[in-house]
Amino acid sequence: MTIVQATTIAAVRRSRQSHATRVTFGLLAALLAAAIAAMLLGDFAVPPETVLQSLFSPLTGIANKGVDFIVLQVRLPRLVLALLSGAAFGLSGIIFQTLLRNPLASPDIIGIAHGASAAAVFCIIVLGWGGLSVSLGAFAGAVLTAIAIYLLAWRNGVTAYRVVLIGIGAAAMLSAVISYLFTRARLNEVQQAMAWLVGSLNAAQPADSIVLAITMVVILPALFVLVRGLDGLELGDDTAHALGTHVEHTRLGLMLVAVALAAFATAAVGPVGFVAFVSGPIARRLMGGAGRGFPQAALVGALVMLVSDLVAQHALPSTQLPTGVVTGAFGATFLLWLLVVSGRSGRVN
Amino acid sequence: MEASVVEARASRAAALGLGLLLLAAALIAVILLSMATGARAIPVDMVWSALTAFDPNSTEHRIVWDLRLPRTLVGVLVGLALGLSGAVLQGATRNPLADPSILGINSGAALFVVLGVSVFGITQLGFYVWLAFIGAGVAMLVVYSVASLGREGATPIKLALAGAAMTAIMLAVINAILLTSPRTLDEVRFWQVGSLAGRSMDIALQVSPFIAIGAALALMSARLLDGLSMGDDVARALGQRIGLSRALAGLAAVILAGAAVAAAGPIAFVGLTIPHVARAITGPGYRWILPYSMLMAPILLLGADIIGRVIAPPGEVQVGIVTAFIGAPFFIALVRRRKLAAL
Amino acid sequence: MVLRTLAIAAAFSGAVVAAAQAESWTYTDGSGQTVTLDAVPQRIIASQDAAAGLIPLGIRPVGIYADSPVAEAKALEGLDLAGIEIIGQAWGEVDIEKAAALEPDLIIAEWWNRNAVWSGGENVVATLSQIAPITGVSAGDSIVGMIEDYEVLAQSLGADLAAPAIAQNKTAFETAVADFKAAVASKPGLTALAVYAGDDALYVADPAGAAELLDMQSWGLDIVKPQGVDATGNNYFETVSWENADRYQADLILVDNRAESTMATALAQPTWTLMKAAEAGQVAEWPAFWLRNYKAYAGALTDLTAAINAADPDLTP
Repeated sequence: MTIVQATTIAAVRRSRQSHATRVTFGLLAALLAAAIAAMLLGDFAVPPETVLQSLFSPLTGIANKGVDFIVLQVRLPRLVLALLSGAAFGLSGIIFQTLLRNPLASPDIIGIAHGASAAAVFCIIVLGWGGLSVSLGAFAGAVLTAIAIYLLAWRNGVTAYRVVLIGIGAAAMLSAVISYLFTRARLNEVQQAMAWLVGSLNAAQPADSIVLAITMVVILPALFVLVRGLDGLELGDDTAHALGTHVEHTRLGLMLVAVALAAFATAAVGPVGFVAFVSGPIARRLMGGAGRGFPQAALVGALVMLVSDLVAQHALPSTQLPTGVVTGAFGATFLLWLLVVSGRSGRVN
Repeated sequence: MEASVVEARASRAAALGLGLLLLAAALIAVILLSMATGARAIPVDMVWSALTAFDPNSTEHRIVWDLRLPRTLVGVLVGLALGLSGAVLQGATRNPLADPSILGINSGAALFVVLGVSVFGITQLGFYVWLAFIGAGVAMLVVYSVASLGREGATPIKLALAGAAMTAIMLAVINAILLTSPRTLDEVRFWQVGSLAGRSMDIALQVSPFIAIGAALALMSARLLDGLSMGDDVARALGQRIGLSRALAGLAAVILAGAAVAAAGPIAFVGLTIPHVARAITGPGYRWILPYSMLMAPILLLGADIIGRVIAPPGEVQVGIVTAFIGAPFFIALVRRRKLAAL
Repeated sequence: MVLRTLAIAAAFSGAVVAAAQAESWTYTDGSGQTVTLDAVPQRIIASQDAAAGLIPLGIRPVGIYADSPVAEAKALEGLDLAGIEIIGQAWGEVDIEKAAALEPDLIIAEWWNRNAVWSGGENVVATLSQIAPITGVSAGDSIVGMIEDYEVLAQSLGADLAAPAIAQNKTAFETAVADFKAAVASKPGLTALAVYAGDDALYVADPAGAAELLDMQSWGLDIVKPQGVDATGNNYFETVSWENADRYQADLILVDNRAESTMATALAQPTWTLMKAAEAGQVAEWPAFWLRNYKAYAGALTDLTAAINAADPDLTP
């Protein structure tokens, strides 16, 4: 009997694992296809073999100045930045959603992105900054907002309920700040701020990707350790307490990781909306209960970002849309889809 | 025993009635203050003579009559609409966090107005009102449906999240439109913040019928809201048609919020805070909460507008900013309370 | 000055590059940087303002990046853009692949001394300067001076300024200036006020911040200087509440015409007519900041001359 049970459990575990592996490989394959498309498509026509040749030109030394510029200085940095920022947003989103136990509770809804935005708009309009200093300002804004929300939500501990609602209150207040700054500035400054607010990969520089890559390398091991503490947390605060997990420490650590990921990604590409919002729920649906889905959410985030950027660049022949416009439309569609699907099954997540 | 209960009830009603009178007096005082406050120093007696004996050749009289009077009137109308709309929403959804801005209704209205300006080139306020209604209605339906998903139904946190998500999406679309059209950006950026500045008498006249209808609907629904507050089962047992009651209250809220947004732009937190303060004074019972909200909200809004007018000379801080800075801390304090009063 | 730079550049390139071609091109831009190319650049990408300066002088860029949809870009109004690729239609956005596909030899923008930036936004400049060197004239204190700078630049790029159509525009402009001066002289005591009308407030311009207003001042027009300008943050406007719309009185009001809606906003304000000139209908358009060529300037001046001729100069003491 026990042997039978054990083998059944092992079988279930194996089948879950193989499902998770299938999902992961499926996502990787989709990412690869999208990445190839990103390298090949563009207004500057480059044949596939030339792209390949150009990619290896640092090794082979066969240079072709114009093509190398497009492939190595334009398309490759943009691709890498899309992948990294998408993965960072996706991870940040699913951490928040898991901690706060609500699929709608992502950093772009509960005030973190608003803090980054208000700070960036302040830097652009009031301080007259541009470029990298705006990114630093946005990063500081995101972190400060997160700290403020956490402190305000603290009352003998922090509950998901208070974090979400206080985050929403902070978001509304920060939006008011942005609107006010807009009325105090000259139109071209407002336009500059607006361009930043929508979020775009158009100005992707290799330096952005390097900073983000270093961040990921530093943060991911911490995340790996912290995720082990999650099993207790998901049972709910009371149960987790009873189990003796260091609830607050784990939660605080995970929140720090999530805030850092969101802040760095936002600093690099602007508050590209809804990538964090949609990645977690999509990953979980794909996994169908076969695991927590963190790595998969990162992959989904990267995929959403990359495909959105492809659409943004090539959907309209005459204009390039900012990436954030496409992800915004995607977010709206997703919310409606969630509505329809959950309406049928009666579940939100 | 019987008699003393009746007596107590009567004296409570008398006290609350007196409170209403006091509020009305306070509102009149704030209205006068609003008429007397502005970038230009105009003595109170001159304000009074402008109202009683208008002289078209006097610059001061023209300013009182053409700028301050319409602005004050719009402030009263919008405040009244937001206060009632918030109270009705909180009653109909039995949700202490319901508010036209938290539920995404304001941003729905804003999106439709922006679409109207950019895509159809609409600049007349008469059309803003209709666009704002449609937007407000659509947003409310979607938000409420999303929040109602799942077993527990539309809990406060789910409503707030659905509203915030809706707001974020609306904002993404609005930003996309504004980014590609500096002209629309320039038109809309002053409207988007929520302001009473530069509102003409036409605006007051155009939205007042809608606000009158909405207010009448809201006040009539007091009994229905009281029924709903006992819980759906009790209300049903008492013979109330739940769905119809909610729809009626929702209609009133959408008309009021839509009209307010059309006149002054999206103004946050007035509809949230005022009904709570009203409830703290009157106790449960929408027969009193609604009229109290209706009088207190314009006091808050006009007060905030007066603060905004004098706080940062020579410019002004728009009323939407001031209410956000008054309302958001209130909201946070409300959330930090151990147990939200169940409605 | 230009000759000297040319000589220095020639000496420089001669010293460094043994086989320096006689055709080599060099230009010192508004930021003081000198750009030197092996040959006269043929394929140019221009910012909307630079395009507005160069196209009427016969230099046609292959691509233009604008701050807004081209239809709304005041500076490009009336110019023939046929065959020119538009590579950006929003502030801070430019399609880098389209730009690279155009294989430009040179990017021409405008240098804003006050902020020490090139026009078009940092991102655009950072992106475009990777494909070709960037240069351009300085946004200075006189539109006439800027147009003359564009003439020098265009000539170095091979423009024939003596071509009849181009010379004719210049003559027409000179006539317009003479008419403008005569009109101003015939109305002694006439004052003007340049404003932007917003829904929130009236913004009164300090002529020191607008090159075309400085030009008009030099031609004799008396423009009222607001007292309360907060000059920090490159601000050249005083914010005046609509309640105080009568703070500055003048005989002629010039309304910023970058957007058509500004005039409508002004006229819709109940206290707009607290200004005597507005009451008397003595209101004209202010071609604010966007003039870059003789033809557009002449058109704007002709309108202003008519407004001055029709104005009663004694509305205000």
